[in-house]
Amino acid sequence: MTVAGVDIGSNTAKAVIMDNGDILATSLIMTGHQSRLAGRRALDLALREAGLEEGDIALIVATGYGRLTTDFTDQKVTEITCHAKGAHSVQPEARTVIDLGGQDSKVIAVGENGKVVDFVMNDKCAAGTGRFLEVMAAALEIELDNMGEVSLESESPASISSVCTVFAESEVVSRVAEGTNKMDIVAGIHQAIASRIYAMTVRVPFKEKVIMTGGVARNIGVVRALEKRLETSLVVPEMPQHMGALGAAIIAEERAGA
Amino acid sequence: MRKGRVDKDEVSRLSVDVLSRLQDLTGDPYSYARAWKGRTGGKVMGFYCHYAPEEIIHAAGALPVRITGENRVISDSGAHLQSYCCSLARTGLDMALGGDLDVLDGTVFVHTCDTMQRLSDIWRLDAGFDAHFDVVLPGRMEGDSSREYLYQELGSFRDRTGEYLGPVDDEALKRSIGIHNRNRVLLEEMYRLRRQDPGVLPSDEVLMVVAASAIMDKEEHNALLEELLGTLETRLSGGGPPPQSSLCKGEEKEEKIRLFGIGSVMDQWEFLRMVEDAGGTIVDDDFCTGHRCAGAVAPEGPDPIESITARIWDGALCPCKHAMSRDRAGYLLERITGSGAKGVLFFQFKFCEPHAFDYPHVKKALDEHGIPSLHLEIEQGSVSIPRLRTRVEALLETMRGA
Repeated sequence: MTVAGVDIGSNTAKAVIMDNGDILATSLIMTGHQSRLAGRRALDLALREAGLEEGDIALIVATGYGRLTTDFTDQKVTEITCHAKGAHSVQPEARTVIDLGGQDSKVIAVGENGKVVDFVMNDKCAAGTGRFLEVMAAALEIELDNMGEVSLESESPASISSVCTVFAESEVVSRVAEGTNKMDIVAGIHQAIASRIYAMTVRVPFKEKVIMTGGVARNIGVVRALEKRLETSLVVPEMPQHMGALGAAIIAEERAGA
Repeated sequence: MRKGRVDKDEVSRLSVDVLSRLQDLTGDPYSYARAWKGRTGGKVMGFYCHYAPEEIIHAAGALPVRITGENRVISDSGAHLQSYCCSLARTGLDMALGGDLDVLDGTVFVHTCDTMQRLSDIWRLDAGFDAHFDVVLPGRMEGDSSREYLYQELGSFRDRTGEYLGPVDDEALKRSIGIHNRNRVLLEEMYRLRRQDPGVLPSDEVLMVVAASAIMDKEEHNALLEELLGTLETRLSGGGPPPQSSLCKGEEKEEKIRLFGIGSVMDQWEFLRMVEDAGGTIVDDDFCTGHRCAGAVAPEGPDPIESITARIWDGALCPCKHAMSRDRAGYLLERITGSGAKGVLFFQFKFCEPHAFDYPHVKKALDEHGIPSLHLEIEQGSVSIPRLRTRVEALLETMRGA
């Protein structure tokens, strides 16, 4: 039986097509301003890669902040449940999921069965999210994808006290004016994110193992800063951005089979 | 139509009429007060807190109207209140300074939290109403001296308001107490019917009914409640259609999950509708614009001030008040269990210190009893339903074992 999970996030839309537990195809595109279309396009891309048509799919589950506006999906499940499910499938020992996405951050406590036990979510401010990093990368004229590697070269991270995107940006500009090394500033930004996420993590409270999902998990600098702050090593799956869509596909499989 | 059954259309129409009236009232609470004033020539007194002795205001021939702030962008009040004050205080003051509360002749402030006490001072100096009264309740609601103090304070309030609104004699006050008691009994009955079957009325409508009790003349509200309860009883006895209010949409796919709401003012109707739409329902609550207005009546006796003292003293405790012998967590657990709720929604205003202080203690008790809960923090004027929806849905998914 073939199923699909579609995760329409604030920044990117992802799709995963599964057949009896095996991933057949995945896709990832920018969401843009029309989240409904983005979900559709992500699904179509994945279908094409798998050489399938929509009629071949037994059940489609939508997740992510754009889930409610989709009309081509069968069921809608929150990204909190889906990330827990996806993360559990790639790392069954994970008890805490830290999901840092484009526009919000979540810390989810997961049970042995992959089900959500508790969660905290910050969607009021952009601190610690992909959007925050994008703004900082622009302020420093550095490629977003290079931020992680660059920050690892720092020996004395700059102090960035504010976690508010707007204030942090002006702090970064001040550091640039002072002549602080770019690598130190980036490392300072990552530390500021780690402090912020740490505060959320202890509220859950976190248990090992900790798995990190979402686009920010691709930034090795944030991962290392968080590991230092949490005093534990983080599991980063091969496709951290797809964990929500994967979870949605697994739920689709469970429900279609039920 | 089978015998003994009420015409389906008739029940729906009745309900829609009552509820559309409630929507008008809660959507524009001060229009009612303006019309009432035009009709009776009486004075309108605003109040913020459910501890306000409405009976005394009512007995003096005035209309007590509750101020609950509103969803608005702050303008004038920014010059008087810091942004770390709750939105209830900030939007309410903004309304007063902007002239939106011009129907009020005066205001009654009950000392609950620090923000309310300071708001009272600013209000007295800057809001420009004719009359201003403070009722300073004891912080600790236990011990003989505290109770005696409360009795004296209520007596003093009666005298002070008497100078402005006209004297209130015992007989008028007793009659007023009777009307208010009736209101609390009827509200409690509505809650009881809902606990029996939450499908009888969605939670947004329940809280609208309670909100209307602090807007309308109490006798008129009692009549409305009696009509509504008749409809609910017909529905419960299987005579009526499933709830088809103007506000309900979609069909029931599965039984809604019963939740218990904890917080202060709850007038976010869109939020409540979203919870219903997401498959949950707030079957009972401890909102100060909700169940705290129901139930506890003033025992009728020779001394009406003593009656009101007893009602306030023995009624549900607000987190602003303290009593060693009355643990709020224990009280809430009992209410939650009694309502059949399987989970709890904390719905709190940002910067509401009394509720924030209460939260860890109550949350710990819930965790120990395996009751899942969700803490939502909002500010009037910036409530984002889609954001809250993800959290609420995630809680419901967790409870369903997704």
